[in-house]
Amino acid sequence: MTGRRTLVDLAAAFAAVAGIAVILEIWTRSLQVPSYLLPAPSAVIARMATDAGLLAREGSITLAEAAGGFVLGTGVAFLLAAVMAWSRPFERTLFPIAILVKLTPIVAVAPLFTLWFGFGTAPKVAIAALITFFPMLVNSFVGLRSADLQEVAFLQTLGASSREIFRHLRVPSALPYLFSGARISLNLALIGAVIGEWTGADRGLGRVIFVANANLDLTALFGAVLVLASIGVAANALVGAAERRVLHWHPIAVAT
Amino acid sequence: MLRLLATSIEMQVSAAISLRGVSAGYGAPVLGGIDLEVAEAEIVAVVGRSGTGKTTLLRLIAGLLEPSSGAVRLLGERPEVARHRKRIGFVAQDARLHPWRTVRENVTLALEVNRSARTDGHAGPDEWVARMGLTDASGAYPHQLSGGMRQRVALARSLVIDPEVLLMDEPLASLDELTREDLRDELLRVWEGKARSVVYVTHDIEEAVLLADRVVVIGGRRPARVTGEVRVPLGRPRARALRRDARFHDLVEAVRSLLA
Repeated sequence: MTGRRTLVDLAAAFAAVAGIAVILEIWTRSLQVPSYLLPAPSAVIARMATDAGLLAREGSITLAEAAGGFVLGTGVAFLLAAVMAWSRPFERTLFPIAILVKLTPIVAVAPLFTLWFGFGTAPKVAIAALITFFPMLVNSFVGLRSADLQEVAFLQTLGASSREIFRHLRVPSALPYLFSGARISLNLALIGAVIGEWTGADRGLGRVIFVANANLDLTALFGAVLVLASIGVAANALVGAAERRVLHWHPIAVAT
Repeated sequence: MLRLLATSIEMQVSAAISLRGVSAGYGAPVLGGIDLEVAEAEIVAVVGRSGTGKTTLLRLIAGLLEPSSGAVRLLGERPEVARHRKRIGFVAQDARLHPWRTVRENVTLALEVNRSARTDGHAGPDEWVARMGLTDASGAYPHQLSGGMRQRVALARSLVIDPEVLLMDEPLASLDELTREDLRDELLRVWEGKARSVVYVTHDIEEAVLLADRVVVIGGRRPARVTGEVRVPLGRPRARALRRDARFHDLVEAVRSLLA
């Protein structure tokens, strides 16, 4: 039953995207909009086919940077959240630093990272990590603190150690929060990687977009953007699938 | 001095639970100067109006809350120590259970974390699941269960460790009347099958008299204290038919007058 619903949902989403493409196609053709302002969808798709090799190569680089940043940023965030959930003094000292990191505009510090780490992968991973850090930190922290107090009391009365309570109760309680943090962070990681590539890179989809923009080659630019968007959608779907699998016990996960 | 020591030793030997002049609260005092002893294998019901500190009393006994003054002993030790070395069961009013564990896994959880739990020569998880009438639901997750079934799981997971002391915080309060009656019978059967020390908090006077050997009333102006107690000299095994007994009504009235 759910499989059929997913198919219907997918078909509806596809129809909506196709509808927009058709409208754009008619618009650009009938009004003869120049391709350096708005290329026709058919031209973009044709260009993507000829550039397929390039898009795949550069796309996989951006994807790798975003994935690396995601793993690093969310991993550190979870560890810090665990420490903060563990002890109030740590919470008081670490949280202001985390907020400082959050409030610093990434775009402003991105050139600095390029200066420090060069034109390679490292600065992009660092920026993606930085941008994913805060949402995951907050979600992990709230999640780890969300454990049911009666269940904590039950385990404590049985003589469970704090470590056992963490493992048996706090981490599973945090899972729904971790997943919503992951959803936010995944898309942010892609944005971070692209920003990193804009501020100085010789590879990646951000670089493709940057060069295409400089050449007013909007057909290539739209192709690269479409690939980026597809990566985002695919990553989101992947998290969604993992969430339904892991949180099968969760009433909300079951309902959606 | 010597006499004081002697009484304190005696107290530790004879009582499963003892509170001596215990005051406690969260900022503002909730309980003041509580004296309470529960003998081994004795079932004590604690009744009082909502918000008098009944739950606070249980938290003190379980060592989840430090008294601001006075001493709490659980099986002769400080509760924080006792709960690591002994088998203490805790049943809350509306157990959420562990939603990612099936009914059976929720029951085995207690065996995983309690170091002195043993299943040899004593009913194991499957038997407790069966005794609580949950065999068909043993693979189900908590969100698939009714409130009554969840409370049965909460009972099973506390009983599976063969608790020396059982602390219960209005375990039947959130259930409908029929389910409550069934589970009361279940509790009587469990306790009468094997004696254990029980502190049973409830606001239901009839339930207290039906289940307990002794009913302790707490109340008064804050901080609350023990305002009286009624012994329940009714024989066991007991059944719900007891509620038609005249002696039962006299005891209920006696408790009620203490609460007023």
